[in-house]
Amino acid sequence: MKPINNKKLTILSILVVVVGSMMILLNSCTASQKISMKSGAQLWAENCQRCHNTPSPSTFSPEQWETIGMHMQSRALLTDTERDKIVDFLKSAN
Amino acid sequence: MQTLNKLTKRILAICLFALIATVTKAQETTTVVDSSLLNRVSTLEQQASYIKPRESHLMAVGLLTFGYVSNKTTVTYNGTSSVSKSNSLGDADHFEFSPMFLWRHGKKFLMEFEPSFSADGVGVNWAVASYYATPGLILRGGYLVLPFGTYNKRLAAGWINKLASDPEGIADASDFGVEAEGGIQAGTTKWSYDFALSNGMQLQPDGTTQFIGITDNNKNKLFTGRIGFLPLANSSIEVGASLMTGNVGDANLKINSATATLWALDLNVVENITPFQLNIKGQYSEAKVGNATYTDPNDPTHDYTFDNHTKTGYIMAALRPAFSQNDVVKNFELAARYGNYTTPANSLWGTKDNSLAVGLNYWMNWRTVVRFSYEAIKGTSTVSQNLGGNPGEITKSNSAYIQFCIEL
Repeated sequence: MKPINNKKLTILSILVVVVGSMMILLNSCTASQKISMKSGAQLWAENCQRCHNTPSPSTFSPEQWETIGMHMQSRALLTDTERDKIVDFLKSAN
Repeated sequence: MQTLNKLTKRILAICLFALIATVTKAQETTTVVDSSLLNRVSTLEQQASYIKPRESHLMAVGLLTFGYVSNKTTVTYNGTSSVSKSNSLGDADHFEFSPMFLWRHGKKFLMEFEPSFSADGVGVNWAVASYYATPGLILRGGYLVLPFGTYNKRLAAGWINKLASDPEGIADASDFGVEAEGGIQAGTTKWSYDFALSNGMQLQPDGTTQFIGITDNNKNKLFTGRIGFLPLANSSIEVGASLMTGNVGDANLKINSATATLWALDLNVVENITPFQLNIKGQYSEAKVGNATYTDPNDPTHDYTFDNHTKTGYIMAALRPAFSQNDVVKNFELAARYGNYTTPANSLWGTKDNSLAVGLNYWMNWRTVVRFSYEAIKGTSTVSQNLGGNPGEITKSNSAYIQFCIEL
């Protein structure tokens, strides 16, 4: 394996930027929706998968979801609205 | 007769008065007792309210990473090669058993503690108290994972990582300090911020840096901060920029004025393209330590210096047919990662490394995975010959992993 040089790194970076831009364009075709208008289920599906697989609501009890919600808010830097809606959804679907 | 009637009336009046007085007194006593009881009951109710399950909650979760690794390393210098082989049941570099305790009081306070048992012994990953001050502001204090990039704080756990190994050059960054963080909605986009002040690092005699623990070695504090931006309403893309800076010198050493400045860019893309889920994650960082003079360990009378500049970066992609109708197929995931790690030339630890890792994962459920990974690392030494090094020496390391990770 040859050591990567600056030129290759630049090409790699451009590739990442291009792919990212394409995804932004693709996504911009769908209607944007404010977080406050989204359901807890939608926010759960969108935010958990940013780092890990989406958890099943049956994994924890309602009390535990309250605690996990605060822990995950600090990790993923969720807004309070997102946290509350996601936790309410997980508790109701529990 | 009239006298007797008067006497009888007086006696009756006295009896009636005594009876009323007794009843009244009895009622007064009863009232006092009731008030005391009510106060006591009220106090008990408050105490019960304080500790009732909805307000205070303690829970334990945790993770285990266990596996097997087989490694072959070939070192070549001036046309001569030497080969070494090793294996480890447990995967010494990645074995980890870490219970995590979360203790919540209401919606304002959370304490998090994660001890960890690994090949290095028993340690602590973090021990933090958090106060959820206002919407968008969390204040934290304790032993923190510093907000530099996203890998350490969000992605390093075995059950989250997509490959068995960690990218080269991403060192643990945990320190004693305080932190302010939060997420902010701005229309259909989101921002996040995370700033920390901590004791900081200490420059070592070889030019590396090391976190010093709970007692600072100088008056300067280390600043670490990250700003994140999620441009899309569905949060599928996140970009972040981080900065870490502070004096790393020790007041009693000749390298007392050295300052370290590190910066990083990170990228996270998660896109659902039915039936696949595409995951792209990357981080690039540079670390620069100001001019300092170091002592040659082979000759203490000889000082030397070098450009203390380190670069490291990785990009990882994973593809999983998560939305397949087949219950078995949808649990498989392919992953690949390219990494580059360049440490200062002419230092005792100078090298240019490139790594390529590929893997196949099988998700037993959302938090349990069995993974097969293979990683090849090629390093070219840039250690100064004056320091006893072999510049140009090539080290090839090939590792095969079987790993099991679970979070409960």
